[in-house]
Amino acid sequence: MTMPLAGLWNYLQNHPTAQHIGFTYWFPLLESVHVLAVGLVVGSLLTVDLRLLGLAAVRYPASRINRELIPWTWGAFAVAALTGFGLFVTRASVYIENPAFQIKLGLLCLAGLNMAWFQFRTFRYIHGWDSSGRTPFAAKFAGGMSLVLWSGVILAGRWVGHII
Amino acid sequence: MRDFIANTLARSPLNELAVYWLGNVPGLPPIAQSCHIAGIAIMMGTIVLIDLRILGLAVRSQHIGEMIRRLMPWVWGALLVNATSGLLFVVARPYRYFYNPVVAIKFSLLALAVVLALVVHGRALREPDYWERSLGRRAVSQGIALVSLVLWIGVVLAGRWIAYSDYLFFYG
Repeated sequence: MTMPLAGLWNYLQNHPTAQHIGFTYWFPLLESVHVLAVGLVVGSLLTVDLRLLGLAAVRYPASRINRELIPWTWGAFAVAALTGFGLFVTRASVYIENPAFQIKLGLLCLAGLNMAWFQFRTFRYIHGWDSSGRTPFAAKFAGGMSLVLWSGVILAGRWVGHII
Repeated sequence: MRDFIANTLARSPLNELAVYWLGNVPGLPPIAQSCHIAGIAIMMGTIVLIDLRILGLAVRSQHIGEMIRRLMPWVWGALLVNATSGLLFVVARPYRYFYNPVVAIKFSLLALAVVLALVVHGRALREPDYWERSLGRRAVSQGIALVSLVLWIGVVLAGRWIAYSDYLFFYG
C-alpha cells in the first residue's frame, strides 16, 4: 500500500532545504532546540494540569495560573512545531510511515481536543471553583488527560528515532 | 583519573547489567530517554520559570519566595530522575561518554547551574523575601537568574549534541 500524499512527502524530502538540513549541523541544531521547546511546552503545562487536579499551586486562582502560563505553552509549541517540521522534511516519506510518528501525531491531536474542550466548555464555569483547591471532575479530567497525553507524546517522539 | 574511572566502570558488573538491560528489556532505551526528557520538562517548568519570574518575564503575580519554596523540591527530584536515567547509558558505554568533549561542556554548565540554584534558592528558602529586600539584592538575583537561564538552556542543547559530537569536532 502506498502512503496517501506520497508525492507531497517526496517533494518535501527532495527539496534542497530538506537535503541541507539532513546533511549538515542543522539537523542536530533543530533537534536540540526541539527538545528544549518540548520541555517548555510540558513544563509550563505541568503547573496548569496539577492546579486543575487540585494538587499544586492551589493558593492561586486556576484562571490566573492558566492565563499566565498558557501563552508560554503556545510560544514553545510554535517553536517545537517549526523545528519538528524541519526535522520531518529531511525524510518525510520515511517518518510518515513510522508507527511511533503516527502515534505521536494522534496523541497530539487528542491533547489539542482535550485542551479545546477545557477552554471552551469547562473554563466557562470556572468562577464556581476558581479559588478553590477542590476542583470539579471536568477540570480534574482535563488536567489528568493532559499529563497522560503529553507523556505519551514525549515517549512516542523519542521512540521515532529508534525505529528508523 | 578519567582513564581509571572509565576502565573501572567498563570492567564492572554494573556495566554488564546496564548493557544487558538496555539490550534485552523491550523498549528500555526510549523509555529511559523519555524519563530524561520528562525531567528536562520539570526543570523548564520549575527552575527556568523561577529565573524568568525573577527577570520579570513570566508569572508576575506569583511571589518569588513562595515560588522557590513550592518548586525547588521538584528541581532536586528531576535532577535525581535525570541522574539515574543518564547513568544507565553512561555505565553501559563509559568510553563513549568519558572521552566526548560535549559531555565535558554539558557537565561544566550543569555544575555551575546547580551551584547558582543552591545559592539563590538556599537564601530564599531560609528567608522568603531575601532577594527583594533591597534594589542591590534584586539586581544581583536578576544577574544570577539570567546566567542560570542561559546555563540550563546550554545544558539541554549540549545534552542533545552529545550524540552528534562528530559534527562539532571534525577530524579531517
